[in-house]
Amino acid sequence: MSKAKANSKPKDNVSPTVRIYIMGEAKDVPASLTIMKAIEYAGYKLTRGAGCRAGFCGACATIYRKEGDYRIYTALACQTMVEDGMYLTQLPFVPAEKVKYNIKDLSPSAETILRYYPEVARCLSCNACSKVCPQDLSVMDYVQYALQGQIEKATEASFDCVSCGLCAIRCPAEIPQYHVAELVRRLYGKYIQKYPETLDKRVKEIEDGVFEEGFKEFMSMSHDEIVEKYKARDFIDQKKK
Amino acid sequence: MVQYSYFPGCNLKTNAKGFEKSALAVSKQLDAELVEMPNWNCCGTVHTLVSDNLMKRIAPTRILSRSSKHVEMLENSPKEVVTLCSMCNSTLKVVNKDIKNDESKLEPINFQLEFDEEEYKKDMEVKHFLEILRDSVGYEKIEKNVKKPLKGLKVFCYYGCMLLHPDEAKIDDEEMPAVLEDLSESLGAEIIFSPLFKYCCGSYHIVDQEDIVNTQVQKIIQSAKQSGANAVVVACPLCAYNLDAQQKLMEKQGQDKELLPIFYFTQLMAIAMGEPININHFEEHHINPKKLLKKLKLI
Repeated sequence: MSKAKANSKPKDNVSPTVRIYIMGEAKDVPASLTIMKAIEYAGYKLTRGAGCRAGFCGACATIYRKEGDYRIYTALACQTMVEDGMYLTQLPFVPAEKVKYNIKDLSPSAETILRYYPEVARCLSCNACSKVCPQDLSVMDYVQYALQGQIEKATEASFDCVSCGLCAIRCPAEIPQYHVAELVRRLYGKYIQKYPETLDKRVKEIEDGVFEEGFKEFMSMSHDEIVEKYKARDFIDQKKK
Repeated sequence: MVQYSYFPGCNLKTNAKGFEKSALAVSKQLDAELVEMPNWNCCGTVHTLVSDNLMKRIAPTRILSRSSKHVEMLENSPKEVVTLCSMCNSTLKVVNKDIKNDESKLEPINFQLEFDEEEYKKDMEVKHFLEILRDSVGYEKIEKNVKKPLKGLKVFCYYGCMLLHPDEAKIDDEEMPAVLEDLSESLGAEIIFSPLFKYCCGSYHIVDQEDIVNTQVQKIIQSAKQSGANAVVVACPLCAYNLDAQQKLMEKQGQDKELLPIFYFTQLMAIAMGEPININHFEEHHINPKKLLKKLKLI
C-alpha cells in the first residue's frame, strides 16, 4: 500500500522524471519507481535498510520531507512511489532496546509488560506513534491496551506491525512500541490463544491408521480413475451420509 | 434506563477487578448503566498535575473528546464521563476545569488532536460514580433495591485524599463528607466515625518507602478499631491496596491479629443488592472479607 502517489502525468513517448534528494544529492529518476528502486536506479547499492521488498519485513523505514512542507513524513521505501522534491533519509536500523525473557516464566498481564518495559507507563497519549506508522496501525491504542493488561485487544490491534521501528523514534516517552507489541503477541500465543484440540485429534487419527485404507485405494487407481473421481467430488462428509 | 460513558482507568482492569465488576452489576440494577468507552488511554495520573506542560494534559483531554463521541452512541446519556478511581476522577476534573476556563490551554492541545480527527468541545462533565449514585440515582432508589441489608456490618468510611482534594475535584465537603456514610447507611450498615477519614494512606510511597505507608496505615486502622469498626469502605484502589496489604504484613510481623477487611463501596452494594459473590473478586484481597460476611450471615 503506498501512502504517496506520483503526481506527474506521462507525456508522449517521454518517461516522466522527478527530482529527489538522496543524502542531499539531487537525482532525476523515473516517476514510476518506488523509493527503493529509485535509489538503486541512481546508482546506490543498498546494503542495509532493504529486505523483502514486498512490504512485509519492515527493514526499509524511510524518513522524508517534501520541498516547501514543514512536516516530516515516513514510509516503507519498497511500498512508496517517489515524488518530486523528496528529501530522503534511509534508516539502517533503530537502536531500540529489546529485552530478554523466557516466555515460559511469564503471565499475560500488565505487570509483565511493566516489568520488562516500564517506560510504557510514561505514555503521554500524544499519538505521535500512530501518525508515523506506515501500516496505519493505532499504535497508541495498543500500547494503552498493553498497559491496561488487555493482552488480547493489544494483540489484535498490533497484529499487522512489521517492526520498522519508526514509532519508537518519534515517541516522546521513549517507548519501543514494536518490541512491546512482540511481547504482547507472544504472551497471547502462549497463554490466551485457544489450544487447537482438533489438531491433536487429527494427528491421533493419522497415527491410528484411519486414513491408511483410503490412501492405499488412491495409490492403486489409474490416472483416468483419479481424474474421474476428482470431477465427481463433493465436500459432503462421507461418514455422515 | 440511563447509560453513562464509563472511563475505567488502568487499576480497574488490573488490581481492582472486583471494584469494576461489582460497579457494573449494581449500575445495571439501578438503571444507570456504566458502559465502557470503546478505546481509552491512561488518565495521565500525577503527571497531569503540572500546569505548565500541556503535553502532559493531552491524555485527559483525549479521554474527554473520545467520551463525548461515545455519549452519542448511548441511550439517554448525559454529557458526563463517569469514573470509579479517585485518581482518574481528580485528574480528569482538574484538567477539564482548567482547559474549559482557559482557551489558551485548550487550543494547543486541540491542535495536537486535530490530526487524529479529535477535538474537545468543552462539552463534558466528569463525575465520580458516587456522585451519580447520590445526585442522579438517589439513596431512596438504592434502598429500594437492597435485598439483604448489611446488618452487623460496622463500617468506617475512609475517603483518602483524592476524593476531597483539590478543590476543583472534590465530590463532597472536604471537612465533613457524607457521601460514603449516606450510601453505606442506605445499604443497612452501621456507620463508625473516625477522625482519620482522610489521613493519608501513604500513597505512592509504597513503591520506595514502605515503612511510611506502614506507619500511616497502622494509625488509620487503630483509630477505626478503637471506634468500633469491623470493616473499612473505600473508593480508591491505591488506598485499598495500602490498607489491605499493610495490615496483612503487620499480622505476619506479629503486631496485629485482628484485621479489618477492606471493601470498595460497590462491593458492599453488590452484596446488599443480591449480586453473585464471585463478581467481587475477594480472592484478590489480602484480607479475606468472606470470613466476616459469613460470620454476619450476609453470604
